This record gives sequence, C-alpha cells and structure tokens, in this order.
Amino acid sequence: MSPPATTSLEAPPPTAPDDPAAPAGATALTPTIRATLRRRRIWIVFAALVALGVLAINLIGGTARGGGPLLGSDNAAPGGAKALVEVLRGHGVDVTPVDSYDLALDAAKSGSTVLVYDELGVLTADRYSKLGLYADRLVVVAPDFVALEALAPGVRLAGFASGPLDDVACDVPAARRAGSLSDGQGLLRVDDDAAADGWRGCFRDEGDAFAVVTGEGRGGEITLVPATTSFENGRITEHGNAALAIGLTGASERLAWYLPGPTDAAAGEAPTIAELTPGWVSPVLALAVILTIAAGVWRGRRFGPLVAENLPVQVPAGETSEGRARLYARNTARLHALDQLRIGSIGRLAQALRLPRAVDVASLAEAVAASTGRDPVAVRQLLVDAQPVGDADLVRLAGELGDLEADVRARLAPETGPGRRP
Amino acid sequence: MALTGRFVLLVALGVVPVVIAGLTGAPEAWLALVGWLFVVVGAGAVDLSIAASPRRVAFARELPERVRLGEPVASVLVVQNLGGRTMRATVRDGWEPSAGVDGANRTRLVIPPAERRRMTLRLVPVRRGDRRTAQVTIRSAGPLGLWARQATLAAPGRVRVLPPFHSRVHLPSRLTRLRELDGRTPLLIRGQGTEFDSIREYVRGDDVRSIDWRATARHIDPEVPGNARLMVRTWRPERDRRIVIVADTSRTAAARIADEPRLDTAYEASLLLAALATHAGDRVDFLATDRRLRGRVHGATGPDLLARMVDTMAGIDAELLEADWSLVPGLVRQVTSRRALVVLLTAADSPGSSRGLLSMLPQLTSRHTVVVASVADPALIEAGRQHDDLEAVYRAAAAQRGLDDGERVAAAIRRLGGQTVSASPPELPPALADRYLDLKASGQL
Repeated sequence: MSPPATTSLEAPPPTAPDDPAAPAGATALTPTIRATLRRRRIWIVFAALVALGVLAINLIGGTARGGGPLLGSDNAAPGGAKALVEVLRGHGVDVTPVDSYDLALDAAKSGSTVLVYDELGVLTADRYSKLGLYADRLVVVAPDFVALEALAPGVRLAGFASGPLDDVACDVPAARRAGSLSDGQGLLRVDDDAAADGWRGCFRDEGDAFAVVTGEGRGGEITLVPATTSFENGRITEHGNAALAIGLTGASERLAWYLPGPTDAAAGEAPTIAELTPGWVSPVLALAVILTIAAGVWRGRRFGPLVAENLPVQVPAGETSEGRARLYARNTARLHALDQLRIGSIGRLAQALRLPRAVDVASLAEAVAASTGRDPVAVRQLLVDAQPVGDADLVRLAGELGDLEADVRARLAPETGPGRRP
Repeated sequence: MALTGRFVLLVALGVVPVVIAGLTGAPEAWLALVGWLFVVVGAGAVDLSIAASPRRVAFARELPERVRLGEPVASVLVVQNLGGRTMRATVRDGWEPSAGVDGANRTRLVIPPAERRRMTLRLVPVRRGDRRTAQVTIRSAGPLGLWARQATLAAPGRVRVLPPFHSRVHLPSRLTRLRELDGRTPLLIRGQGTEFDSIREYVRGDDVRSIDWRATARHIDPEVPGNARLMVRTWRPERDRRIVIVADTSRTAAARIADEPRLDTAYEASLLLAALATHAGDRVDFLATDRRLRGRVHGATGPDLLARMVDTMAGIDAELLEADWSLVPGLVRQVTSRRALVVLLTAADSPGSSRGLLSMLPQLTSRHTVVVASVADPALIEAGRQHDDLEAVYRAAAAQRGLDDGERVAAAIRRLGGQTVSASPPELPPALADRYLDLKASGQL
C-alpha cells in the first residue's frame, strides 16, 4: 500500500460560532449511544421485564419446589426428602445434613445413625468399610456395587420390583410396622454365604429378592435399601413407605443425613494439575483468553458499514452451447451430432470450392473427390451415408471430416501459397 | 468505540507482572492480573475520554466529473476539524468496490482544532457507470492510541465512469478512407451516392468527360478575349445523411463473450461509427432500448456527440428482459422521418430469440437501410474445430449447431432486406465502420 498523500492547508480564518460562513458539519450516520438507547427503549424495557420475571419465578419457584439434589434434606421437590426430615425433627430426632466424608465419619463415631445416599458413586470401598466400622446404625440408600462389596459381600443387586410388595418376610420392627411397600422398589438378592453371615431380607417379591436387606456389619447394624422411593417426598405417603423410612432413620436420637458433596468427589490420591504447575500458569491462561477477546474486538471491529453496490447482470455466453453438448452426450445422439458437423463441413467445403451454397451433396462429394484425388464413394460415405456405430466410430468420423476439410484447403491453397510459387 | 493494536499489545504485556508475581504464589498472580487489567482498561477509558469527537467534522470533495474507464482518478477529500481538540484520525472513504480504490483505503490524518487536511485517494474504476461514495468513516484515537471513537458521516460523492472507447485506434485508418471518398478529394466521376459539389477550372489530368460545356461557355477568359475557360464538374459523396444507432439492452446484451458483455461491444461499435459518421458530415442519433427507451442522444454533432453518447451509455446496463422490438420503428420515426441508416446492435444468434426482431424488420427495411450488427462468439468457432475425444466432438456439434442457427437468422435478415455484420468482439467495431464506408461509397445511404 502506498500511503495516500496528505498535505496541510492553511487554517481558515477564525470564525465566530454564529458566522454564517462557518462550514456546516457533516451529518453523522452513526447514531449516538444516547440515540440508540432511546430508539431501542421499548426493547430494553421489555428485556428488563423478562429478566425480572425470570428472576422472580426462580425466587418463588426455588422456595416452592426448587431443583436441589435427590433426597436433599431441605429439598421440597418430589425427589427430595424434606418431608421425612421434618417429620423426624418433629419427633425430636436431631437431623444433621452432612456433605463431607470427614463430618459423616465424626457423626458415626459419636453414635449417630448415618444415612448415606451416594447418587454419583464418588465414595470408595475403603470409605464405605470405614463408615460401616464406626457407625452403630448405617442406612445405605441405593447402594452401588462398590458399597455392596465393601459392606455386604454376598448381597447382589437384583433389578426392580414389578409392583407393590407386601410379603414382609422378616422380623425387623420397622418392616413389621410398614407392612407393605409401594411399587418402584429396587431389589437385592442374598446368597447363602451372606445369609450365613446374618444378612436377611425383608419384603420378598415373587423371586427370591428383597426390597430391604439388614445385617450386622463389623461395627453395627447395616440396612440396605436399594431404591430411593421410600424416602422421596412424592412417594413417602404410599403404602408403608413412611413407616419404613421413619423406622429405619429415627431409631436413635441423632441422624447424620450424608449426601457426598464436592469435597468428596475430588478426593483422588494423585495431586491435581493446579498443585503441579507454578502459580502463574492459570492467571496467564486467563490473560490469554482476555487477550484473544481483545484481539478479536480489535480485528473484528468493522471500519464503518459495508458499502452495497448494484452489479449488472452478466451471463457467460457459452452456456447454451455447453448445455446442448451435454444434452447430446446424455442422449448419445451420435448421428445427430455427426450430422451437425457434416452440415458445417459441407457449407465450408462448398465455400472453399466456390460452389453455390445450395449445392446438392452428391455433386459436392464428386467435386471434393476430384480436388483431393480421393475415392468419390468414400467421400460420399463420409459426408452423408456413414452411420456411427459407437463412440469411437463417431470420434473417428468427426476426425476424418476435419481431415477432409484440411485436405481440400491444402489442395486449393498452394496456387496462391508461398511454397509452390515458381 | 474501537480498540487498537497498541491496546492489545498492552494487554499482552500483562504476562510480565503476572509471571513475576506468580513466582511467589498463585493468589499474588491473580491479584497482578486483575490489577493489570484495571490499569489497562483505565488507561483506555481515559484515552477515549480525551479523544476528539469524530462527529464534529466538515467535508469537502474535489472530484472530476467524468473519467474514462481504465484511467486513474484522484479523489480528494478535505476534512475539517470543527472540534476543540486535535484529532488523530484514521479515515475510510466509503467508495463502492467497483470504484477501485488503490491501496487499503485507510488514511491517517492529524488535524489540529479548526484546521483542514486534504487526503487523496487514487481510484482506478473497474466498471463503467456512476461510481458513488455515500459516507466517510472516521476513527478518532486518543493521544495514547489505545481506544478510539468511531463514527460514519454522510459525504456523498460521484464519478461518472465513461465507456473506454478502445476502438478509437481504428478511427485514423477509417478517416483516411473517408477522406478519399469525401469532398476533400473531389471526384470527377459521377456515381451512385454522390452529389454535385462544384465547378472548377480544368487542370491537366482531369477526365475530359467531366467537362461541363455549358459552364465553359459562360466563363469567358478575360485575358484572352474570345477564348473560353474549360470548366469541369466535381462530385462528392452525399452528406447530411441520418444514422440511427439502436443498441439492444435486453437480456441477450448481458451475455459475456470473450470476457466482454455484448452491450460493451455494442457501445464500442456505436462510438466508432458515430465518430466516423460525424466526421463524414452525417447526423447520428443513438437509442438504447429494451422494453422501454433507456437512453437517447438526439441532435448532437461533432465532439459534443461523442461526449453525450458516452455520458448516456455510462449509466445503462443490460437488464434481464426480453426486448420489445415493436417499439423500435416508432422510436426511429420520432428521430427522423427521412430515409436513414438504422444500425441495430443486438444478438441475432438463435431463431427463437430473434423472432421479435425478424417480425419487426420489414417495417424498418421498407423505409430505411438496416444493418444488424451482432457479436459472434469466437469460442464457438474454436470449439467447432476440436474433434479430439468424444466430449469434444459433442461440443463441436453443439457449437456448429449454434453457428448454423446464427447463419439461419442472418439469412432471414437478408431476405427481409436487412444487412448483417457479425464479428468477434474486438473486430465488430471496425467491421461495422467498414460496412458504413462501403454503404457510403456505394451511395446506399
């Protein structure tokens, strides 16, 4: 780019602001920020109202039924367990929500009943064993494979019950009081070794599986309830769900309601990336992100609006001919194509031989044969009669037509051409 | 508002304090990052607040009215700072892309308060017609050059780009031929297409058959009483004929042949013919039409004619319409009631699209001499010669078919009393000029 020339002009004579000779400023096409705000006022108000509405709905709905975790002790949604917790508190049970393993372990050591519901499966076998060792009474809701292996080897997951269960089949007081359970229960199967270890099931279904399994662990009593149904706000009133849930959790004065939290999830043994890298790496990465945004704004900011231009319509002229050629090719119109070429050749040959435009082909063929010394029959064959039997034949005939024309021209040209001049 | 590269660089430099602070610990590094961003954004905001307003400016343009296509033109924009602060501006003049701004169209100007600065852009327009600019965008940076204010202001400007008239290279040779025909080399032979010019004294070498005896008898030689001076008649080609050039601007004129739209070739041919005819003393009128009259030049002569023709042509482009040929006889009648040479610049290449032209033609040929000039596609002729493989053969057949169609239309035009001129784009203007000279020489105007 060659920098455009700029030259300085002498300053115009100083003018008073109200001097009529003062140049009028150019009209700005870009609206000012204030004008933009004024023009978009309705939309801005509308957006603000929508934002307020969403906020209000969230606030109200959040207290009413909010999302919250499944079986959350203060979650009033159908999947929460606030109903059970409030009832327990109403009966004088000291319910403590716990979200870290250490607190849960402390509670277990101090003699609380511990309810564990590990929705995301973050607890390790080691931790389950430890809980089972220290807790006097441990209720594991929806135990996963790890939990079963650690606490009750020999008890296996066995799918889901197909309907309500009313075969109590054991003498656990809570189960006796409940009498029956609603549908939606998970099932566990107790094998012979486990049965020998003292594990027994309650609420048998048609198979040999149970909706509640209790037994003596190494530390205290352990109850396994494979489904959350009996504890959920939405289902606790069905059948004997409430009696079972209250009976299992309200047996002692204190209850630790343990849902593993974020601190338990990241409790891996390996050090995190943040611990391995120097302190400045994360801020520099953040700076890089900011830098990218700034550079994007720098390069992406348009220098004024795009300039529109009306362009004239222009059509490539060869399209018609190309299209016609493709049409011939698709229909393999060999004879038709060859005839077109012949018509052209005949016209040019007649012109070269100074014959009238409307000469008949037979006499033209004779004239051509006479001037080139070719066989008249062969020439006539080429110019009229031959039919192309295949693609190769068509190409050959077209080539021969071209050769014939060149031949005639060569025969006629030498009389004036420089080569034969004496 | 806009950011500058300098600001981005400044943000990037933040890596130094962040790393240095990070050697002691992560929280310090975060603190350094936030602190640096505060400093940088603060500097930018301060810079923006003391930048001159890009809205308080006045513009003046200095532009030539017309320019021939392909020639450079200097677009001068004078920017006056009406504000009270020195403006450090980058200016973009909003020319259309076809105006062909040479360079990046970003001009840096530093304008003290109440002063003016002149910036010059070099334009090389790439398309004829009116090339316009509607706005000027100014980005006014602060003294630190971190943040800038930006505004687009109205500053209309226009340059009319005229057709190039490349074919004027053919003009001198045709003028020489014209002069041979013309009265400046008076003819002694009365022929078709000549009119009586003058009677002058016989000089040795004149044809004795051209001696006018009656004039000789009237011219008594004063020096030798009783002797008469021999007088001869001279003749010259007819003058003051009417020529009406009709350019077809319909959809066929949009076709691009040998990288030039048919319409542009038609313009070249019209200009050469008009230049030649106006030198020959004939009167030229120009019409551009499709379904309505798009442009008309009437009653201009000499240099004014060419100027007005290029001016009219500049703004007319082909439209995707079928031409309405039934308009043309009426338009020609409006121009002249006398016998004239009517030159139709159109595409006579397929019987289907030429039906309107052919049905109208008898109305013109009954009163006027009609020449239909059309552009032949050299690509068709070239394709007709290729027989190398199957695809080429089919293409050659199709090309031959196209040529035959054109030939058929030309034959039909000739049968209806018109004449045809057909040549490739660079050859059409001289071919048409030659046809005009032939007609003039044979007195068919």
